[in-house]
Amino acid sequence: MAVGLEHFLVLSAVLFAIGLYGVLAKRNAVVILMSIEIMLTAVNIAMVAFSRYGQFITGQVFVIFIMVVAAAEVAVGLALIIAIYRSKKTVDSEKFDLMKW
Amino acid sequence: MPNIAVWAIFLLPFLSFLIIGLILRPFFNNRPMLSAYTTIIAIAGSLILSIWALIAVNGAENHVLTDVSYQWLSIGDLVINIGITMDSLAAIMVVTVSTISLLVQIYSIGYMKGDGGFARYFAFMSLFTGSMLGLVMANNLLFLFLFWEGVGLCSYLLIGFWFHKPSAARAAMKAFLVTRIGDFGFLVAVIFLYVKTGTFDIGELHELALAGVLGGTTLTLAAIGIFSGAVGKSGQFPLHTWLPDAMEGPTPVSALIHAATMVTAGVYLIARMFPMIASSETAITVVAIIGGFTAIFAASMGLVATDIKRVLAFSTISQLGYMMLGMGAVGMGYASGAIDEHHAMALGVAVAIFHLFTHAFFKALLFLGSGSVSHATGTFDMRKMGGLRKIQPWTYATFLIGSLSLAGIWPLAGFWSKEGILHEANAYAPVLFWLAMITVFMTAFYMFRAVFLTFHGEYRGGEEGSHGHGLHESPKIIIIPLVILAVFAVIAGWLPVGDFLGADVHFSFFGALTSWLAWVSLIFGFAGILLAYAIYGRKLLSAESIGKSLGPIYTLLIRKYFIDELYERIFLMRFLVDGVFVVLGWIDAHIVDGAVNGVAMVTMTGGKVMRRLETGQLQVYGLAIFVGILAIVAFLFMFN
Amino acid sequence: MDLYLLSPEISLLATALAVILLDLFVKEKWILGWVSVTGVIVSAIFALSLWGRVETSFGGALAVDQFSIFFSLLFLGIAALILISSTEYSRKFAAFRAEYYALVLLATTGMMLLASTRELISIFVALELTGISLYVLAGFLKDAKSSEAGLKYLLLGAVASAVLLYGMALVYGLTGTTYLDEIAAAISSQGILGSPALLMGIVLLVAGFGFKIAAVPFQMWVPDVYEGAPTPVTAYLSVASKAAGFAVILRIFYEALGPASLDWGMIFAVLAAITMTIGNIVALTQKNIKRMLAYSSIAQAGYIMIGLAAFTAEASSAIMFFLACYALTNLGAFIAIIAISNKINSDEIADYSGMVRRAPLFALALALCLISLTGIPPTAGFMAKIYIFSAGVNADLLWLVIIAVINSVISAYYYLRVVRVMFLGEPLSEERVHASSGLRIALAITCLGVLLLGIYPWILMKYSEIAAITFLP
Repeated sequence: MAVGLEHFLVLSAVLFAIGLYGVLAKRNAVVILMSIEIMLTAVNIAMVAFSRYGQFITGQVFVIFIMVVAAAEVAVGLALIIAIYRSKKTVDSEKFDLMKW
Repeated sequence: MPNIAVWAIFLLPFLSFLIIGLILRPFFNNRPMLSAYTTIIAIAGSLILSIWALIAVNGAENHVLTDVSYQWLSIGDLVINIGITMDSLAAIMVVTVSTISLLVQIYSIGYMKGDGGFARYFAFMSLFTGSMLGLVMANNLLFLFLFWEGVGLCSYLLIGFWFHKPSAARAAMKAFLVTRIGDFGFLVAVIFLYVKTGTFDIGELHELALAGVLGGTTLTLAAIGIFSGAVGKSGQFPLHTWLPDAMEGPTPVSALIHAATMVTAGVYLIARMFPMIASSETAITVVAIIGGFTAIFAASMGLVATDIKRVLAFSTISQLGYMMLGMGAVGMGYASGAIDEHHAMALGVAVAIFHLFTHAFFKALLFLGSGSVSHATGTFDMRKMGGLRKIQPWTYATFLIGSLSLAGIWPLAGFWSKEGILHEANAYAPVLFWLAMITVFMTAFYMFRAVFLTFHGEYRGGEEGSHGHGLHESPKIIIIPLVILAVFAVIAGWLPVGDFLGADVHFSFFGALTSWLAWVSLIFGFAGILLAYAIYGRKLLSAESIGKSLGPIYTLLIRKYFIDELYERIFLMRFLVDGVFVVLGWIDAHIVDGAVNGVAMVTMTGGKVMRRLETGQLQVYGLAIFVGILAIVAFLFMFN
Repeated sequence: MDLYLLSPEISLLATALAVILLDLFVKEKWILGWVSVTGVIVSAIFALSLWGRVETSFGGALAVDQFSIFFSLLFLGIAALILISSTEYSRKFAAFRAEYYALVLLATTGMMLLASTRELISIFVALELTGISLYVLAGFLKDAKSSEAGLKYLLLGAVASAVLLYGMALVYGLTGTTYLDEIAAAISSQGILGSPALLMGIVLLVAGFGFKIAAVPFQMWVPDVYEGAPTPVTAYLSVASKAAGFAVILRIFYEALGPASLDWGMIFAVLAAITMTIGNIVALTQKNIKRMLAYSSIAQAGYIMIGLAAFTAEASSAIMFFLACYALTNLGAFIAIIAISNKINSDEIADYSGMVRRAPLFALALALCLISLTGIPPTAGFMAKIYIFSAGVNADLLWLVIIAVINSVISAYYYLRVVRVMFLGEPLSEERVHASSGLRIALAITCLGVLLLGIYPWILMKYSEIAAITFLP
């Protein structure tokens, strides 16, 4: 059985779903951040697959950009988690409910 | 004259309003005189520019200096312009309005001295003057309507200026509601015209009407709608009831707004729209009849009123009726083919505006005079006055000039303008002419009744009046405007206003006395004065015994034909309260209340429930995004 | 490649860097704020000089047309007002003033790029440049509320970005290109119009951008972030970020997905109805004014989405006009709130009682802005609503406009309630509320703008019409 575009897309979709599950179910803010990274990786796989099978190179360029931006995002995210940890002494996302309703 | 200067005529008072409202009132409230000076400087600026405009218009081709429009808004097919015109009619009006306004503002410094709302008063007066000047310059109906509502708003604010007085608050509300009835008709007519013709531009409407494109029922309905606005604003029968009550406002307000300018906006509107309205015979006949009837009807109520300002208010209504009658008569002449188009259009406007012009001066004078009297006596009730001739010689002299002018005595201003109207009425509407003649008699009678009651005989006010320091003549700041207005009340009739407006009126100082009509009206006028003298000056006849012998009529007049009662008792109480209110009450209790409460409750509960979704939980928010995407996908695949 | 076309963005970027560098050398920190404002003005001058040019550069990735200039000027105007009104507020984080100003400038750069790029990668980078700057700004106070707001915003924003990227990946995979015009050509020529994958891609794009403009159900972050973020940042978020979202939606959906219009027009119509309704009815129950304005901004986004659903040149012009009016009005409201809240240390509506006697000008200005948000003449809000509603009616969306009108009536209740509290309530104390000249200037500009656009809207409408026409394919 040859590995085709569909397989990569299914892999990408599954990975995206796993990431989404992590975002919605995990309590720890750091883990949520990691789950978001998984979602972005899923996008990257789809991009590269499209690029490889469609013979257009831009997808790979896109992936580089996504990785760079994601790194910046994680840096800011971790900084914010540290800031919130200083005032709350926890990174449990369920405890972040100072503002509601 | 540059365009910008023409715009500045009405923008200057607006600027003054903004300066007072945004700068002087918040930051310099301890220096109230600044507000007065700002207003006076702005209006003086308007006056100078107005005079400049008048001179420029006189030299311009066709007497039209500017007629410019700018696009204000364009949404799809709906294009709304704003624009002003400066033609002879607008020029006369801006000069009249700014002159009177300036004098009234000067007078107000004295009259309103020490009032807590001094700055607020001048802010409103500026706003009013700006709106009124804008109204007479607007060249399309929508823009005009904007200012029309603006002056109405100011009138409401100024009648209720002393809002802590219940009667003032009630009078303001009444003025607001009653004029709204007329304005509603006006607005409907404006929209109706736009739908039919696709334009708000007054000039274009006239062309369409004169060319016959706009005609038939459409034209008649639109013209009557516009006239209904004028009826409300100018206090014509049957919407006249608000004007006497409006006298609750400060006297300078009555002089400026409820005598000289705002109430004449109705007359101005008919004059501005004259070519269109005169093209409908039905509409112009209605104008003539309402005008003629209002003239005599209001005058009759003025015969018995005991409050000097109310006498003047009835007189104002009556004189406005005259102006309507003048235009109506010319329009009827045009409709019957007796006058050709070119001549009729100018003549109709000329007779009405000439009287509006002279009336503005002598009526403002009379109002300000009554304010001066009240300044001394602390009342407007003529039964508590008398003998003020010796104490207030200046007030007396100027008031007398104003009364003579209003009574139409040669050679004062009122004589000339009234002659013009009577002449046209005699030619084209003989029945209305005789009504007007009787009105001349009544006018002379009630004005001199006021003069004799106020200034002659013995003082009847006791000691309580006069601010506790004895009766006195008013200060110079009050007297000077009176004197200036008195001069105008004499000479305003000699000015070639009619010629300026395009009608050939041959002014001849003594020649006027050669026509039979002038003599008849003078005889009627003198008869009125003599009768007043006999009753109230010499007391040859007792007012009480006349009142008793004419019992029912007297009651009818003093109760203002029971029209207030008719409106309030019959319409409001029987019909509205008892009838509609019962129905409304039922609907309210059973349906609306339920529905409103229901809707309000559902909405509020909905709000409270939705609010609970905002748990503050990050992951709930993430879930919402996810569920949202699923819902959209489901929605799409269901419908595709 | 004409770098001059990019001069507004470059000069703004340079200013941001200059501010950070200056911070190292300058003792008088207040200078930084005015340096930033000057940078914004310089950038605006460059942008103005480009008005009228319709060109592309960077291989077609950058488009300079009236549409992008219109939005650039809008963002720059907002940024200038925010910077001016932050001068006093920034004392709360005195040590990081330079970073604050620089981040505002960077976010603005990102938004300007967002309005002028025509290529998916650039759009993504611009979006993230805006987003990351704003995440930091939201958490800038570093107290519990502010950090929480920043983190919530970041995590949800990142999820939205991932969703958006997945959508972009699908569109890219189907069409083989990231250029918007080529996407449009590919969609119409390759017969993928009805393909479920494209539809899925569009839905994901809607969700990703829906987060930016705070459309229901992607709006949940809005109230929390608005409440927790520093008030000037909230103001910035509520107008600039939203406007940027609409700019990029207009760009992508009109330019690239035009042929597939039927589908997404309907999505936006339904979302618009839900968004305005939910925003309004939840706003009814709010007691904190910043939170109330957060829901109000959701409702306003609902009104603007009528224009997206309509998909005509008129509607696009109406959106731009609405955004400008909304920006002025909402900024005015927030600036008044900054001034008042700074002094009374409360955002509770009840504490605004009798404010007209303690701060007459601020109370009047706030009342004017709330009236404009309600949509009562003679204010900008009224004209904006008239314009966008009539665009909706002309596009056969009468049902949606009726819902919007009902919503406007509902909204009057909570907007005017604040006015009533301020004017009729008894003041809680006699202490007068004063504010810096920066706030006063900014407030005066917004209020005059609100009145000017309410009285003479044509002054701006003619430009929004031109901008909409040049950009429509």
